Amino acid sequence: MITINSLVKHRRKQEILSGISFKARPGRVTGFLGPNGAGKSSTLRILLGLDRATSGSALINGKPFAELDNPLTRVGAALDGAGAHRMRTGRAHLCWIARAAGLPRARVEEVLEITGLTNAAGKRVGSYSLGMGKRLGMAAALLGDPEILVLDEPVNGLDPEGIRWIRTFLRTRAESGNTVLLSSHLMGELAETVDDVVIIKQGQIVADGTLAEVIGKHPTLEEAYFALTTEYPGENV
Amino acid sequence: MRAFLAELSKLFSLPGIWLACGIGAFAPAVIAVLDSIAQKEDIIAGVSTRLPEAGYIGLAVGVQGVIILGVLAVSSEYSTESSESGGGQQIASSLTVVSSRLHFLLAKAGAVTVISMLQCIIAITAVVPATYLILGEYTPLFEWPKLIGAVCYWTFTALLAFGITVITKNGIVPLAVLIMNSSFVSISFLLSKVTKLALYLPDRAGIDMFMSLSESILSPFTGALVMFAWVGVLFSAAIVVILKRDVAS
Repeated sequence: MITINSLVKHRRKQEILSGISFKARPGRVTGFLGPNGAGKSSTLRILLGLDRATSGSALINGKPFAELDNPLTRVGAALDGAGAHRMRTGRAHLCWIARAAGLPRARVEEVLEITGLTNAAGKRVGSYSLGMGKRLGMAAALLGDPEILVLDEPVNGLDPEGIRWIRTFLRTRAESGNTVLLSSHLMGELAETVDDVVIIKQGQIVADGTLAEVIGKHPTLEEAYFALTTEYPGENV
Repeated sequence: MRAFLAELSKLFSLPGIWLACGIGAFAPAVIAVLDSIAQKEDIIAGVSTRLPEAGYIGLAVGVQGVIILGVLAVSSEYSTESSESGGGQQIASSLTVVSSRLHFLLAKAGAVTVISMLQCIIAITAVVPATYLILGEYTPLFEWPKLIGAVCYWTFTALLAFGITVITKNGIVPLAVLIMNSSFVSISFLLSKVTKLALYLPDRAGIDMFMSLSESILSPFTGALVMFAWVGVLFSAAIVVILKRDVAS
């Protein structure tokens, strides 16, 4: 369970998050939506202990990320890009992560296989496409077989086959009782993947509920999203 | 321990670290050979005032390898992927694997310390025979306390580079300043002509651990303490910075 409670973040004189609260529950895929600069990535970074909250809390099973013992086996995270140095090979990147988490080398080969990167594992990360980088980030997130996945724009740059794979994969993870929180701006993909939706706009939550609740009377999630996040919805019709 | 081993694995899987190790292993011997050739006639004639420096000069000036190591260990964390690749940074991966920033920093510093010590030991094993090769029976005695001083000098230099780069996040400035300062005519050397306080700068104090320069005012032990104090101050600053700084800042 991920619990975001009254989270506030100030950066310089700007308020990035204005006391947001929501939950991502086990057994469900929660989609975190919002325009660029709405505060999605800031929320995820605070959740993962990368940025500090001005006030409020972001908890993973009731604990801040920094208090988790061997966090890779509890939370798998994939944020911007691959999160790897461009001069290192994909396999070497996963190997140091596995070593830090005390995982066997064989697990590296398993996640390379799962994410379809086995043939590219010996290449430098700098030569990877955006989609391959995303797959490497996903492989790193899966190394510890965690019960919680936190993914920032996971389908960005993936080809149709990759998008289909990730959709199926995340559904399977959630159906096994795991928690999945993902941010995205691809409404069509999200509507086919998520159970719950949280929409953020200018640092404030403007919708939080099941997919059906958030869509409401709108024909699609996309329509609902624009109605909730645009000052003048008619502009986008 | 797992974090330390992961940092070793992380460093040795970067090509730049192998370049740093190569420079660290061979540059001091090359410098020692060139200096010995230049000094040989004066040494044989018994008129050289730099006989005690023979060989050691390579260990003093050839410290660039550990500077690159210390800088690269940190700057590689903040190196940003291209925007086409998503614009991520390795530091985000590192801090989601080792959630304690203090453990992360100590593990990385530990890895840099071990590699620096090994680099210096390899450099010494190259410098000593290289100097003997040129100077033969005129080679000054390589004393253990001085060689240990050289190992300390290299390790402290690597940790200074490490600490400065944690603060700057970018490797270019510390790399340029520290490599320039480790050259034959260093900023601290020039400053020492203006004020004796410059002799307490880390590189000048550190060299006193294994070389007796004409203008030195510190004993080897005091030199070690002064350089260690510099490392302590910079490393403390690095800890404060990394504990407080947002990855996104």
